[in-house]
Amino acid sequence: MHSDPAEARGLLRREFLKVGLGFSLALTAGTALVGCGEAAKTPAGGYAFLGPGDLELFNALAPAVVTELGAFDAVKRKALVEGVLRNVDATCAALDLGSRQELRKLLDLLAIGPLRYVLTGVGAWNEAGIEKMQAFLARWRGSRFATLNAGGNVLVKLTSSGFYLLPESWPSTGYPGPLEYVFKAVNS
Amino acid sequence: MALPDIYTEGIASGWKVIDAAKLNAPQTMQADVAIIGSGAGGGVAAEILALAGLKVLLLEEGALRTSDSFRDMDEGRAFRELYQEAGARATSDGAIAVLQGRSVGGSTTVNWTSSFRTPAPTLKHWAAEWEVVGHGVEDMKPWFEQMEKRLDVTLWEAHNPNNSVLMRGCKALGWEAHAIPRNVRGCWNSGYCGLGCPVNAKQSMLVSTIPEALRHGATLVHRLRVRQLQHADGKITGAVGEALRDDGRTPSGTLVTIKARHFIAAGGAINTPALLLRSQLPDPHKRLGQRTLIHPVVLSLAQMPERIDPFYGAPQSTASDHFQWKDGATGPMGYKLEVPPIFPGIGAGVLNAFGDNLRKEMSALAHTNAVLALLRDGFVEQSPGGSVRLADDGSPLLDYDLSDYVWEGVRRAYLSMAELQFAAGAKQVRAAHLDARYLGNWNDTRKAIAELPLRKFRASLFTAHLMGGCAMSENPKRGVVDSGGRHHQVANLSVMDGSVFPTSIGANPQLSIYGLVAQNATVLAKALRG
Repeated sequence: MHSDPAEARGLLRREFLKVGLGFSLALTAGTALVGCGEAAKTPAGGYAFLGPGDLELFNALAPAVVTELGAFDAVKRKALVEGVLRNVDATCAALDLGSRQELRKLLDLLAIGPLRYVLTGVGAWNEAGIEKMQAFLARWRGSRFATLNAGGNVLVKLTSSGFYLLPESWPSTGYPGPLEYVFKAVNS
Repeated sequence: MALPDIYTEGIASGWKVIDAAKLNAPQTMQADVAIIGSGAGGGVAAEILALAGLKVLLLEEGALRTSDSFRDMDEGRAFRELYQEAGARATSDGAIAVLQGRSVGGSTTVNWTSSFRTPAPTLKHWAAEWEVVGHGVEDMKPWFEQMEKRLDVTLWEAHNPNNSVLMRGCKALGWEAHAIPRNVRGCWNSGYCGLGCPVNAKQSMLVSTIPEALRHGATLVHRLRVRQLQHADGKITGAVGEALRDDGRTPSGTLVTIKARHFIAAGGAINTPALLLRSQLPDPHKRLGQRTLIHPVVLSLAQMPERIDPFYGAPQSTASDHFQWKDGATGPMGYKLEVPPIFPGIGAGVLNAFGDNLRKEMSALAHTNAVLALLRDGFVEQSPGGSVRLADDGSPLLDYDLSDYVWEGVRRAYLSMAELQFAAGAKQVRAAHLDARYLGNWNDTRKAIAELPLRKFRASLFTAHLMGGCAMSENPKRGVVDSGGRHHQVANLSVMDGSVFPTSIGANPQLSIYGLVAQNATVLAKALRG
């Protein structure tokens, strides 16, 4: 790990301005600073794409993106968040190489402690809390750098779609579920 | 009353359907014609060639999914099983979401049934500017008629509330608007076209041409990814396919060799150029994978006083061409206005919000109308489209940039859509754009749209129409194939899908593909029977 966060921040800022914020270049800069990435090289048990660190990230994103998760009791909420993670994982695993690599770069970048702190203001995902995660997303999506907009958008959309694909989410949207007369007819 | 499944019955009656995921030894398959891709182009070609008595091999990378698996009417299952990259395909920079089918029937299995003939100005433009012959308005008429009859294309007048917004708004403003012809037979008006029609009403390739080809002896192989066309001396000598595992993505290691007199590439405008690039076919004028046209789509969202239920009812049945041709084919960017269905999962993606904003907007989904503009790209120099290249593993990457010409069209489209939605009675309107907020009247909205920064990742961009990349032209310097879809440099290779279009269509392209392929495949059938 780099010993001086302030120096790291300065270096990173300069790197970022210089390269116009491509994730791959940012990642190169980041790994050069910290020696090597802490990123998951293999998926977490039972997952096809997301590593343990990615799961922590999406665990923190889920209640920040989908605030109505707060309306469910703890047991139900845990199950729903896992449903979100499963949906996000299935989507990521189905991506062709190009998108998979881009996404991997983003997730690896966010897995590097000092970089994460500089870029998102979050130290550890599991201690961040909803407000900090929302501030991070707002900052990225409000940035003048297209790469941060792209990263903010993809994290938000993966998480929000991952939740609203779950039938448990439908009552809050006014979607009654599969159109009843057709569903009954084809399933009778 | 459960509906009988066409394929369960067909396979029981002797249809030759092979799931490559179940193959465990390398093999060679032989036919007169091998068709790679089973969507709008491959499906029509398979039927015509099989009926002509030719031995047809229809190869599909996606899985065979039929009405039995559409019965859950579930959005998540549909994305995972019926769409390219589980519905998350995008341009290489991630800026434009690409909705494209990936199962037997290709995008016809999941499209919203809009069936327009190729607009006359488009056909005229091809003849005048792209040296295309034999596809004029009169030439094409009988082929469109044939395919409209074949696929039960009929005008749909029972508009759901989402589509009624467009019709009502246009009428109030004196704008052109029309009902859309749809390829449906006995439609139940459910709205689930995009998730796989649960009642086999949509006349997709899955339930129409492919079964007919199978009845006439064609063989369908699914979960088989054709990696490469082998060639020597200006001729395709064979093709190599890799069988995929049950997940539909990972190669199992089993290779299939395909031998045929003639090969037809019909994988669509992303996968067909990628196949030809992987195969390193001759491309002396560097046309392959160039000029990919996508009808860039932008959306406007409205809160309506009435219940819209944008998930139910025939998803797309009204459209406006008011801004499509008013300056001719080559004026400022033209666009067609239509309406998309919105289910919760894709809806969350379109809203692209988080936290309390997302919660509030999702809770209003049943009152939300969306209008979309599909921009007619590729008609002028300032709109050259994008290009397809290959990733390290040979999978396709689509690069697409938007010029000032296109962005100017985007801004006008936002304005048109918002004006239309307010004219139809919207309480609030916002563009699908990171910097847009709901506003309650047309004047404020107009001012806000004028200020919107038009950049990738701020404007939400989509495409569901992939065209170009193997353009047809009689001039080999300008096209990959000739007007009949025959490759300029390779004798026994045709391209029969949307990738042959020299420009975008200016309307949903399925019937343009059906008509053109019906015509070209009929000519090819005669040539092959000798």
